[in-house]
Amino acid sequence: MASARRVAVTGLGLVNPFGGDLADFFGRMLRGESAIRLFTREDKATRPLAVPAVRCASFDAEAALGRSLPFTMDRYSQLGTTAALSAWLDAGLPRTKDAPRNDWGVSWGTALGGTLTFESGYMDLLRNGRERVPPLSVVLGMSNAAASHISIQLGLGASSTTYTVACASSAVAIGEVLSKIRSGEATLMVVGGSEAPLSYGVVRAWEAMRVLAGGDETSAARACRPFSSDRQGLVLGEGAGAMILEDWDHAVGRGARIYAEFAGYGSTSDHDHLVRPNVEGQMRAMRMAIQDGGLTPDEIDYINAHGTATREGDPIEIAAIRGVFGPRSDAVAVSATKSMHGHMLGATGVIEAIITVMSLASQEAPPTAHLDEVDRDCTGVRHITGGPLRGSLRAALSNSFAFGGSNTVLAFRAAH
Amino acid sequence: MMKQENLTLLSEFLHKRENIEPARVTPEASLEELKIDSLLLLELLFEFEDKLGVTMPHDITPPKTVGDLLAIVDGLRVGKDA
Repeated sequence: MASARRVAVTGLGLVNPFGGDLADFFGRMLRGESAIRLFTREDKATRPLAVPAVRCASFDAEAALGRSLPFTMDRYSQLGTTAALSAWLDAGLPRTKDAPRNDWGVSWGTALGGTLTFESGYMDLLRNGRERVPPLSVVLGMSNAAASHISIQLGLGASSTTYTVACASSAVAIGEVLSKIRSGEATLMVVGGSEAPLSYGVVRAWEAMRVLAGGDETSAARACRPFSSDRQGLVLGEGAGAMILEDWDHAVGRGARIYAEFAGYGSTSDHDHLVRPNVEGQMRAMRMAIQDGGLTPDEIDYINAHGTATREGDPIEIAAIRGVFGPRSDAVAVSATKSMHGHMLGATGVIEAIITVMSLASQEAPPTAHLDEVDRDCTGVRHITGGPLRGSLRAALSNSFAFGGSNTVLAFRAAH
Repeated sequence: MMKQENLTLLSEFLHKRENIEPARVTPEASLEELKIDSLLLLELLFEFEDKLGVTMPHDITPPKTVGDLLAIVDGLRVGKDA
């Protein structure tokens, strides 16, 4: 059997709430800096809203994309296309459409798609008494719009697909291209995801599930405390991330910088419950990713946990990690960076994958912020607290466990 | 006789949206050369409907020039709620 091609991560890009570039974002993660702020919204049409959340407040669509393009996009596409263009530039790829790129494609993730477009349309129809909505509502709102814009902007002729798998959407979008590049079907793929979930209705829906962390002006930054004995739930956020995944030899051939190897992918279903996670389902996904990557559990030095800071979810993930790593669990470094960048739903998988890749590239992994006292039901792993972990990081996992019972694990190996 | 205010409405919209110089928006200008594609044309029609309180019929012949487009708009009766 011919050996499968290896997959290189050669470009990273994001739109993040701090407003700076990738190096700035990752530096803040290493320092345990939170982007969570009190999000307030008050207008004539709705009741006042005040909840800790993560916003990309300084994002300027016109500066990033030009005058015309943003009008044809929901905010989730604006964020996503900007992240993809940034990853493209980071990978040293030229913005020309001349070369045929029919084996280059895009694989994107979003949980909600154009939810802000939907909300504004419903407001017009149901509250403002209008009988029509803007003519681009369909193409703004559709869930594959971001992927479509990216393939048009970058001239990508291979597949353009979008995965909607709740909180694992962009992790699945990344994972599903591994076999395409290994087999030679695709040479290069732009992967990632974007989410702009801070519509009135979406925030109210998450509130109604009683899983959102509360907070005020002062306490909002510390609202999300994964694995902590006083954790109180998750924080919604908007953002986008993108990676360039490339056939290893192709990357080497063009002299590209390789951040890490995308080594393995695990995807399982709990087939159990809509929202209650399941230890066994998560263990199977981690084992699958490790095995698929030709790795052993002993080589995994860091796990970027799903870690949403819910009462129910965190202990189950720790139990699953302990199940996979056995007696070595104490040595496996774990952190949940949602404590700083919040839960970006369909974008969160790629943001955490980027952090995982950067950890391998820099040999420094970020902490879980605000983790002063590890809860008794979350012990047994090496929680990174207080500051970054520096040391030899050979391989790492990024966990994404979605409502609906879809478990997705991405395995990365250090490039050198 | 073309209504000047409709030409102004059109050129203002195209300037705001696509940064098109108002001087280029003349009755003879081709929509294709101004890069007005089918989606942008939909938005233009919507803008006219909104601003003028008119309703575009569904069976209009797709306009090729600015003049064609304005002829359609000029021919519509202004609605009660304009």
